[in-house]
Amino acid sequence: MADSAIGRPAVRWGALRRHRARRWSGVSPWQAAPVTLALLVFTAYPLVYLVALALTESTLAQPLREWVGTDNFRAALENDVFTGSLWRSTVFAVLAASVQLVAGTALALALHARGRRLGLLGGFLLLPLVTPPVMVGVAWKLLLAPVGGALNGALGLAGLAPVNPLGDERGAFLALVVIDTWQWTPFVALLVYAALLGVPGELREAALLDGAGRLRLLVSVVLPYVRPALLAVLLLRLVGGFKVFDIVYVVTAGGPGAATNTSTYEIQRTALESFKVGTAAAETLLFSLVVGAVATLVAAVRRRAVRAER
Amino acid sequence: MSRAHLPHLLSRRAVLRGALGAGALAAAGPLLGACGGDGGGDALDPAAKPKLAGETLKVLVNQPNAGAFEVLRRTFKAETGADIQVTPVPYDKLLATAMLDAQSGAGQYDVIMYWYVGLGSLAEGGVLEDLTDYIKANPDIDTGDLLPSIYDPYTLYQGRRWGLPFDGDTHILFYNTELFEKYRLDAPKTWEDSNAAAEKITKDGRGEHYGVIVEGQQVPIILGCTFANRLVGFGGRFLDDNGRPALASEQAVAALQSLLDVAPHALPTPLQTGFDQALPAFLSGRAAQLEFWTDHSVKAQDPKQSKVVDKWDVVTLPIGGSNTAHNTSLDAGFALGVSKLSKKKEAAAAFVKFAASRKQNEAQIAVSTSGSDPVRTSTLSSQVFRKSFGRAADVVAEGLSGKPLVWPNGPEAPELLQTLVDELALALQGKQQARQTLEKVQSAWEKRLG
Repeated sequence: MADSAIGRPAVRWGALRRHRARRWSGVSPWQAAPVTLALLVFTAYPLVYLVALALTESTLAQPLREWVGTDNFRAALENDVFTGSLWRSTVFAVLAASVQLVAGTALALALHARGRRLGLLGGFLLLPLVTPPVMVGVAWKLLLAPVGGALNGALGLAGLAPVNPLGDERGAFLALVVIDTWQWTPFVALLVYAALLGVPGELREAALLDGAGRLRLLVSVVLPYVRPALLAVLLLRLVGGFKVFDIVYVVTAGGPGAATNTSTYEIQRTALESFKVGTAAAETLLFSLVVGAVATLVAAVRRRAVRAER
Repeated sequence: MSRAHLPHLLSRRAVLRGALGAGALAAAGPLLGACGGDGGGDALDPAAKPKLAGETLKVLVNQPNAGAFEVLRRTFKAETGADIQVTPVPYDKLLATAMLDAQSGAGQYDVIMYWYVGLGSLAEGGVLEDLTDYIKANPDIDTGDLLPSIYDPYTLYQGRRWGLPFDGDTHILFYNTELFEKYRLDAPKTWEDSNAAAEKITKDGRGEHYGVIVEGQQVPIILGCTFANRLVGFGGRFLDDNGRPALASEQAVAALQSLLDVAPHALPTPLQTGFDQALPAFLSGRAAQLEFWTDHSVKAQDPKQSKVVDKWDVVTLPIGGSNTAHNTSLDAGFALGVSKLSKKKEAAAAFVKFAASRKQNEAQIAVSTSGSDPVRTSTLSSQVFRKSFGRAADVVAEGLSGKPLVWPNGPEAPELLQTLVDELALALQGKQQARQTLEKVQSAWEKRLG
């Protein structure tokens, strides 16, 4: 058992739950008021309003004009551009999050091997994170510009033929994955690095004493131990990937054609360029179902991993 | 009540249920309000003579025209004592900003500059004040002098006037005379000439020069203009005389085919090419042809911005197919209206009248940074117009005096144009043929227009 190996104190979960339940039931209405108000303002109100928009004919200038039932949902589902965007968003989120998790974990392991202090390197790692996404997009757009771009300039100096990733359907999509990965891999690396610091030294020593090599130690001890953390990071990046908007807006504007038209970008176009706010609200609800389904799946896997660890 | 009883009355579920119920009630307020209210303030008094001295009007403007409002601010203040506070917004966010201002009830602007394609949306949405009676009550507006080709498309919706024209935008074809001479080509008169020149220059230019810039970014004001220029050249229309879609016509298909034919010879790559890519390519002398707004001639002659000073010329938009009549397209084009939420409607209307006057129209086109074009017949025959527009003057005057292509401007227009450019982008991407593309657009437009 992993628990006994690392000497964790046994926790009586049932007793803890009962204790928490007792504590909750003693909350006075005044104590609950701030949370209730926050729930109303930040969760319930926008959700109710969004549903109301989705069920009515609403334009940007005149929301909630007329009850239309499920017409907006039907319009959204009959729109190939939107249904295609759901698929694209899912592929983008899964691909980008997976690449970032693998790259970030590799980076974190390399950092961990250096020691427990990041020093100046930590600051460098934070640079892509603190750069505004719009500036990230502008920089990459200039870098990848087919005429006068830095990439083609370098290729030209090396005597190689120019490339134009943003002019090609697959190239543009992959370029966005690369840009997102460039920006978010350090974030993943820092989180995984923190998780790696939590792996008990005794556990490593026990495995080494049992004759495990470095690879075996990594695959059979370290990664299983930090698996819940890795899955939590994956969940975070999945949701972040679904929400991607800035770099799509700046770098490809959803193109070429509809190749990079993600759901967030399409919803924005529907609401703020076609002014069909009712349809955009329906699209938002449908999109949130897709995000919710994928997130629930990963969360379930994570819960199972946590239970297995215990 | 003792604390012991609270858990029964205030369980977590009860608290959450109460919170959601209150949220629903909170949402119902604006819902009911929005269903019933028209969002308007006091109606504009058409005969009022407002006191302007000391007033400050807030004006929402198209960012490229911000320079024009600097000129207007000085002259308006000097003549009336009133000031204006200008908020420039990028052209593609102008309509949304105006609508959100009205929808939110903020009423931050007294005067709203709008792209005429949004006229129906703004009028139907209760964003603009009806100026019909004001215009009738103020004969000094001199509507007879406003260019007939733009006055109605810019301001007339459902028989009412909602603004006054401010910037009469059209496209013309700029070409690099040095490159045309180098490759022994004549100025293009037809789209076939233009395409042939593009192919030759790009092929012989071997990556150093490109024969044409095709602006194909998937937004109506970019890719829509590129298509509209060919559509009018081939004799096509967006809508017929009855307001029905006319995009499945042979002329429209030929126009799109012409665009698809030239795309492989354009500056790479059309779908990525917007203003940011197009202007430097032409002004640096790398690309030989560019369809653009008339005020580009000022930039092309500015040695600080251009390497093609005195190495360019313009022609009116070419013709194509069996069409023999040169016409231009009303690409972009802006008018000024009064916000329905303004609390200074009479003063705002006075400013709109002032800004659209003959004197101000001439004053603005004299300034290279104004981004403004003629909206009045008298401006087209003025000396200042000749001087400012130079070699482009005749071409601009010919286009605005003729029967230019008018874009849809009803409440459905933003959606119609978005559908159009989405399908055009797929065609440029090679995913569908010209006829198939336009039949899809025709079908979508028919469905939307009922």
